[in-house]
Amino acid sequence: MKAALALPILVAPTRAAAEGNEIGFNLLGYKERGLMKVTEPVLWGRGTIAEVWDVEASAAVDIVTGASPRFVSNESGKPVQTISGASINDRRNTQDIKVTRHIGDFSIGASRTVSDEEDYNSKAYGIEAKLDLNQKNTTLVAGYGKSNDRVGSTDNPDLHEPRYTKEYLVGVTQILSPVDLIQSTVSWARGQGFYDDPYKFTVTFYPDGSALAAPDTRPDHRNTVAWLTRYRRFFSDANASLQADYRYYHDDWGITAHTIEVGWEQALGDRWSIRPGLRYYTQNAADFYSPVIPQPAPAILSSDQRLGSWGGLSPTLRVSARFDSNWRIEGTLGYVQNSASFHWGGSGSEAFSTLRAVYGILGASRFF
Amino acid sequence: MKMSRILALAALLAAGCANVAPYQRGYLARESMALDPNPGMAKALEKTYSAKEAASGGASVGGGGCGCN
Repeated sequence: MKAALALPILVAPTRAAAEGNEIGFNLLGYKERGLMKVTEPVLWGRGTIAEVWDVEASAAVDIVTGASPRFVSNESGKPVQTISGASINDRRNTQDIKVTRHIGDFSIGASRTVSDEEDYNSKAYGIEAKLDLNQKNTTLVAGYGKSNDRVGSTDNPDLHEPRYTKEYLVGVTQILSPVDLIQSTVSWARGQGFYDDPYKFTVTFYPDGSALAAPDTRPDHRNTVAWLTRYRRFFSDANASLQADYRYYHDDWGITAHTIEVGWEQALGDRWSIRPGLRYYTQNAADFYSPVIPQPAPAILSSDQRLGSWGGLSPTLRVSARFDSNWRIEGTLGYVQNSASFHWGGSGSEAFSTLRAVYGILGASRFF
Repeated sequence: MKMSRILALAALLAAGCANVAPYQRGYLARESMALDPNPGMAKALEKTYSAKEAASGGASVGGGGCGCN
C-alpha cells in the first residue's frame, strides 16, 4: 500500500476563466494485462454563491477486481513477481468538498476528504490561502493539509495501524504574456506511522538449499518533496495550446522521480478539440528495495516493484466537444507501459515485471 | 526558510514580467489554457498513475491516502 494523494485541493487558477457553475460525471475504465481492472464513476460539481463563495465537491467509487502482485520469489533461479491466486474484489468510496471565501484579492479555502475501503480508511483536511498581486498577473498560494489514515488487511482482521501525514505547499502562478502563463508549486510532506504492505512478502532460496520468507517491512516515516511546474502557451496561428508539466519528486526512502507530460490541444472549429499527449515517468529504487533477501536479513526490506527502479510511457488521446455552450462531452484513451528498460539513465531493476494497461474515460458536464 | 526563498523567487519572477491587462487575457481564458480544465478527469487520472508509482503530489494538499494496489 502507499499513500496516493489522489483527491486534491486544486491550486488556483484551476481554470483560466470563471465559467459559473458546472456539474459533471466521469467514468474511468482501467485494465492491466493479466492483473487489475478498475471501474470508477466520478460525480463532481463546482459553483459560486453570492459572488464571494466557491464550492467544489466530488464523490467517486472505485470498483477493483482481478489479481495483484503478491510476492517475489527466486525459486526459478531469478527473482520473479508472482500474482495472487484468488481474484480480488475491492471497493473504495471517497468524497471531498472544498469551500473558498474570496475577500478582495485574497481568498481562503478549506477542504475535507474521506476515503473508505475494507482495509484502508483516510480522513484528511486542507487549508489554502491565495493572494492575487499585480492586477492578478501574479497569484501566490500557500497550503497546509493533514491526513489521518488507518491501515488494515483482509488477511489479518487484527491489523489497524495508523498513519499520519502533514503536508505543506507554496506556489506561484504568473502570467508571462497575453499567450502564456506558468505555475510552479512545491509541496512537502511529513508522514509517520505504518507503511508496510500487509499483502506482500519476499521468498528467497539460497545456494545451500535453505529458504527464507520475509514480510514487506518499510520505515515508519516518509518525508517527501514534490516540485510541480506547469506551463501553457497559446498559438493563435494554429488555434492550439501547448500544455507542458514537469514534476520533480524526492523522498527520504531514497526515491527520486521525474514526471514529464506534454500535450497539444488543437481546436477543430468552434466546437471540437483534440489533444494528443505523452507522459513519461522515471524513478530510482528505494534504499530498502530488494527482490531477494540478503544475508543477514535486513530489518526493513520490500520487493514491491513499485519501489524499484523503472520508467513508464503513456500516450493519450483526448477528444472533447462543447454543445450550445452548456454541455461538454469528453473522451480519453490512454495506454500505459511501465518497464525496467524505460528507466532514465540505464536499465532499471531486473526483477521489474513489465506492466501494460489501457484506460478510457468518458465525461459529460453541464454549465449553468 | 524554504518558504521565504520561494516567495523571494516568486517576487523576482513577477518583477521580471510585463503586466498583461485584463482585456489582453482572451487567449489565457480559453479552456485549453486552464491548468486543470476538468477536475473529475484529473482526479481519476491522478489516482490511476499514483497507484502504480512511488511519486505523488505536487499540486495540492489535504487529499488523504488510499490503499491502492
